[in-house]
Amino acid sequence: MKKFKIINIALFILLFGSGCSSFRGSLYPEIIYNKRQPLISVTYEYGEIELILPIRYDAAVPENILFKVFGQGDTLHPIITILQEAPRDFLAYLPQGVLDVQNNTNLIKIIPQDKNFDPVEVRFKGINFGRLYLPPKTIRIGQLIVSGSTRLNNNDSIISGVDISIQNFDNVIYTTRSNERGFYQLAIPGEYKFAEHLRIVAGENLIFKPFIKKLDFSNNRKIKLDIGIGPSEDMAEPIYLTNKENVHFRDGPEIGAKTLFLLEEGEPISVDKLTLSEYYGSIEVQINQNELVKMEGWINRKDLRLINMRNIYRLSIKD
Amino acid sequence: MKLILHYAIGTIFSLSLLFSQIRLDVNTIPKKVDIYLDGMKLGSSPIRDERISPGVHKFEITKKGYAPLSYDLLVNPAQAIELDFFLNPIYDCKFKTEEKGLVFELNGEHRWDVELVRLRLEAGDHLLRVFKIGEIIDEQTIRVDQPRKFNYFLRQPLDSD
Repeated sequence: MKKFKIINIALFILLFGSGCSSFRGSLYPEIIYNKRQPLISVTYEYGEIELILPIRYDAAVPENILFKVFGQGDTLHPIITILQEAPRDFLAYLPQGVLDVQNNTNLIKIIPQDKNFDPVEVRFKGINFGRLYLPPKTIRIGQLIVSGSTRLNNNDSIISGVDISIQNFDNVIYTTRSNERGFYQLAIPGEYKFAEHLRIVAGENLIFKPFIKKLDFSNNRKIKLDIGIGPSEDMAEPIYLTNKENVHFRDGPEIGAKTLFLLEEGEPISVDKLTLSEYYGSIEVQINQNELVKMEGWINRKDLRLINMRNIYRLSIKD
Repeated sequence: MKLILHYAIGTIFSLSLLFSQIRLDVNTIPKKVDIYLDGMKLGSSPIRDERISPGVHKFEITKKGYAPLSYDLLVNPAQAIELDFFLNPIYDCKFKTEEKGLVFELNGEHRWDVELVRLRLEAGDHLLRVFKIGEIIDEQTIRVDQPRKFNYFLRQPLDSD
């Protein structure tokens, strides 16, 4: 009896189940996609680069500075160009992604709008975004340069190996020596631009009185100066040189004659006539920086020595 | 000493990695969906303050009841990127006809010939073709935007309940 009941229930479920399935319909085995492109929204948020370059000034400040920022090695097309009053910090905002973040191929060109300053460059490695604080950069007045040649006054021939120095008061700032073609060039820091006691001294290693001339860079950073040393061509031979400091150059040979000048060692004298104890001749006196005037007078014979123009170098310095 | 150096290098490396990457936020509709980035589980949406590096990446999203999504994206260098994915739902539908001897085909690949069938259809348009003795006798687009029952009558627009 019990077995019959179980069979009846099973039969009922089978019949009812299959009937229900046919009523609901069969399920298609796969999900049917239509390959529709899903809706996707992509939003980028770009940052910016805050570029800060502290500027230091040495001795002088230019009025305006032109800053040009270049990225990724491109030195033709600046990312940004800013002309502004000389700032304590150069500040620029750049878009993200314009700088090379791997190498220091990015560049800031600092161009002071003042002829006394030279342009300078700062190379740096970039960042993607955020604040980029660069090490301070010092802006200096450009170097002061004096150049020219060293020549002998009497025949305009080139003299090589002449010691040349620039001095402020008696402090030697820089020293050089003219090359075999007689050319020389001296460069000193721009901070001496307005120094009032700047001078060039040449020929201290020669037998002649050194050439000394005041330098004035106030209007120009570069001075071309050809240095003439020794007696001029107007001085007829024989030429003698004073052999000590403070040699009396007098208006007569007699005792008690008036001293016109006290001559330095190495002063050339073109001797015209002589007595037993005195030479009579002429010297060149420089007036107004460039003008030479001949003066005649008497000098004690023992204060002079005849020069050999074939060797004008001091033996102690250059054999 | 070596240990300190090791940690210092590790920290510097981590920091450089952090700064070289882009902040990533991901939103989905519906929410609470598992998101895989380049095969690795990123988490459950919404995703906030994750990091991604510039370059090509693959996003994969699967959720029962929605069409799976796979999306290749070239991530540009940026500060942050926000992605919104709208998943396509799959609707349970019924397709019924009283016509005899017809074969139905959806999207060129799914066929049946019974009078009543239950279909799981991705939301959107599907192309329906009707064949009789091997010939196309009807063709129309059906739009699925909710669970529904379609009643098909020969050469008539699909009627739905």
